[in-house]
Amino acid sequence: MNTQQQSGQEMAVGQVEMTLRQEGRARMAGNTLAFLRNHAPFNKMQPDALQRFAEKAQIAFYPAGSQIIGPDSGDVRFFYLIESGKVQARQAGEVTVTEYSILSLGAGESFPIGAVTAGRPSTNVYTAVEDTFCYQLPAEDFLALMSSSPEFNLFCTKYIASLLDQSRRQLQLQFAQRASEQQTLNSPLAGIGSRSPVTVSPDTPLRAALETMSQAGVGSLVIAGEDRKAVGVFTRTDLLDRVVLADLPLTTPIAQAMSQNPFMIEEHATAYDAMFAMATHGIRHVLVTDAEGKLTGVVSERDLFSLQRVGLRQIRQAIDGAHNVEVLQHAAADVRQLSFNMLAQGVGAEQLTQFISALNDALTRRVIQLNLEKHNFDGIEWAWLAFGSEGRDEQTFSTDQDNGIVFLPPEGASEEALKQRFLAYALDVNKDLDRCGFPLCKGNIMASNPQWCLTLEQWKDQFANWIRVPHPDALLNATIFFDFRALFGKAELAEAMRRHLLAQTAANPMFLRAMAKNALDVEPPLGKIRDFLTDLEPDHPGKIDLKKYGSRIFVDVARIYAMASGVHNTNSIQRLRLASQRLSIRSEEINAVLEGLNFIQLLRLQHQYLEGEPGTQGDNLIDPDTLNELDRRILKESFRQARKIQTRLKLDYQVQ
Amino acid sequence: MLGLKKFLFRGGAPSHLPDDVRASLEGWRASAAPALDDLHFHTRYIVVDIVSSGLQPDSDQLLSIAASSVWQGAIQPDDTFYIDFSTLDGEGAAVDRQLAAFLLFAAKAPLVTYHVPYVGGFLQRAFKERLGVDFQPQWVDLAWLLPSMFEEKGHTVMPLDHWIDVFGLDSGSGRRDAMANTLLIGRIFQMLLVRAVGKQIDTAKHLVDESRASSFLRRNH
Repeated sequence: MNTQQQSGQEMAVGQVEMTLRQEGRARMAGNTLAFLRNHAPFNKMQPDALQRFAEKAQIAFYPAGSQIIGPDSGDVRFFYLIESGKVQARQAGEVTVTEYSILSLGAGESFPIGAVTAGRPSTNVYTAVEDTFCYQLPAEDFLALMSSSPEFNLFCTKYIASLLDQSRRQLQLQFAQRASEQQTLNSPLAGIGSRSPVTVSPDTPLRAALETMSQAGVGSLVIAGEDRKAVGVFTRTDLLDRVVLADLPLTTPIAQAMSQNPFMIEEHATAYDAMFAMATHGIRHVLVTDAEGKLTGVVSERDLFSLQRVGLRQIRQAIDGAHNVEVLQHAAADVRQLSFNMLAQGVGAEQLTQFISALNDALTRRVIQLNLEKHNFDGIEWAWLAFGSEGRDEQTFSTDQDNGIVFLPPEGASEEALKQRFLAYALDVNKDLDRCGFPLCKGNIMASNPQWCLTLEQWKDQFANWIRVPHPDALLNATIFFDFRALFGKAELAEAMRRHLLAQTAANPMFLRAMAKNALDVEPPLGKIRDFLTDLEPDHPGKIDLKKYGSRIFVDVARIYAMASGVHNTNSIQRLRLASQRLSIRSEEINAVLEGLNFIQLLRLQHQYLEGEPGTQGDNLIDPDTLNELDRRILKESFRQARKIQTRLKLDYQVQ
Repeated sequence: MLGLKKFLFRGGAPSHLPDDVRASLEGWRASAAPALDDLHFHTRYIVVDIVSSGLQPDSDQLLSIAASSVWQGAIQPDDTFYIDFSTLDGEGAAVDRQLAAFLLFAAKAPLVTYHVPYVGGFLQRAFKERLGVDFQPQWVDLAWLLPSMFEEKGHTVMPLDHWIDVFGLDSGSGRRDAMANTLLIGRIFQMLLVRAVGKQIDTAKHLVDESRASSFLRRNH
């Protein structure tokens, strides 16, 4: 007698029914497992987590054309995994329907991860475009799986991170439209390259043609008839292959040596089209014609390359060669314009803020240098320090000055007299920087303030005081002054300050704890019922301060972990990356955090550029209702990341 | 042996049945069948398939039963059922209890299968012989309904595998067990429900009637 029979006799019918139901569920799960095993991330999940999914997943059919879920369906009850068929995701609401906002999902893909994680209605409309079967996992089982399976959790986290990436591309699209009047690869060829190409007629003897090239100093000739229709191109490469090596007498008409049927493109085509043609046909020149096919210009590969680098070199040259503040003022405006172009061409927030910082650095250095002509500090070791966002390489379009001076008085010299000279000098620099578009600091954190023009020893004492007695002012100062770097002069002085700072923090654990407590004072504006809290700033109802409640949270946490782990960098992203390695925080976790920070920074840049009045200082106040659905979602996720690292900080420093 | 039982118990509940089986049979008989005038979405359908040793309900052996409910627009893993008779020797109270358990599970819900004469034939014989129950559920027979609902895909009674191909379902590789078959029939049934609603067949009663009519018409014309 086997076990089933034995148990069958011991159990009443009701119990037998339960057993046979379990058997049924196990069989159905086995069937579902066969599908799951062939699809990521399920194929990487632990067997027990996978079994759990399989035992709870229902199978549902959605005929082509039917809506599966949408914003009106209420809170999402299921996590859907497509078994077969095709589902289209479309953004709902008043969103410009761009190509990316429609996503097509096929077998093995799942949705709506964000909504089911958050337990809210889906922001997208999901429609079956073919007859579709889905496995649907009830929301509570999905959440249980998220918390029990690290593989599944990672998959969902990564998915949300990929949304961040999508939104960045969407922003770029927006900027690209704005930048269309700028010279980019979207510009029409009519405005690019040589407008009056050197041309000769087909019967011109080679010698005469070569003389023309030589005199005009060009590497190529266009051969055109009297009707200005091009029939060929002759380049220096042709000279070698078809004239010299072919032993062609120089009296031969050029028509016999030219490349025939040159590649022509209409002047309304874009630079991108020309670049594409060059890459496709392996050519270096494209002839530009009008609608009738008459030659109007030549675009070379080099013209297109310089287009991509438009301004960068020029601005650097203008800055480095500037002899007065007026030139620098123009350069500052160019920096702003160029940063915007780069934003349009798809440069991310991290690179962009660093890029703005780099050009601003060059500009500031030049102002510092120009003023040294009137003030002489030969033989004195000193350095110009940048603090705050400038110190962190995280400048946005509107950043005011935060700077200071560190100096080393030579032996025997009067420290006070030297300080007065530095203060006078700093005042000139501060004023010039203001004229170049870096407003004076409202908190007077400037080198011209005697408080922040100090000797190396005074800086060390100042740092040590703040660290030993972390009262509120000291903590506030720490958040500004501890993000310093040398912009000009003896960088070793700044390094000495840094070593001192890190040694002091290591010796005073209470300080970091106080910093942590301070950093936790402000929480991300996530609502319990609504998505966002928009009433935190009494003067600006309905808006969120993206700096105060967004990026600053990341920056503050980054600073603490950097100091705790002895990281010398000041940039928040570098700080978090390096500190996470030293503190063995999982890289997936930190990447999600960095994506969040980058997204908030990008929104700030976008807001400051698109909504700021030209010439005025942009703010960081955004109204979440004006964001499109996807951006809102990602912003929410970014704030969640902020909350996540705050929670981590809270645990690490045991802040109540 | 089987023949003897058949003779002995044709009349009613066999007297040898254990008390708990008798009690549950009485409970089952007394229970009301669910109303069939609700929409499909609210109706609990039981999709069922069997495995047998041959094709003759009168002489071949029933080896397993697999069933799953389709309810609220989905096949529900929490409402499935599987009996494997092959581990038993076909005798004993264990088999009686398992068959009675199936009745409790199905709870007089409309049953959906592919080819009622085969599936229903085996079930009827088993319930009659073992439990003395005349098993006459409300059947929905996809073998007859599919050609009348999906005329464009096939207008005559065809093997199940043909429909699986027509609907592009993944039938897996190798031999399918009863549960795999039940789940495939369940998927096809969900597709059929959508089509039925389109033809204003929107309650279980309608569907059962349609199933009867389709098999009757096709058999007789």
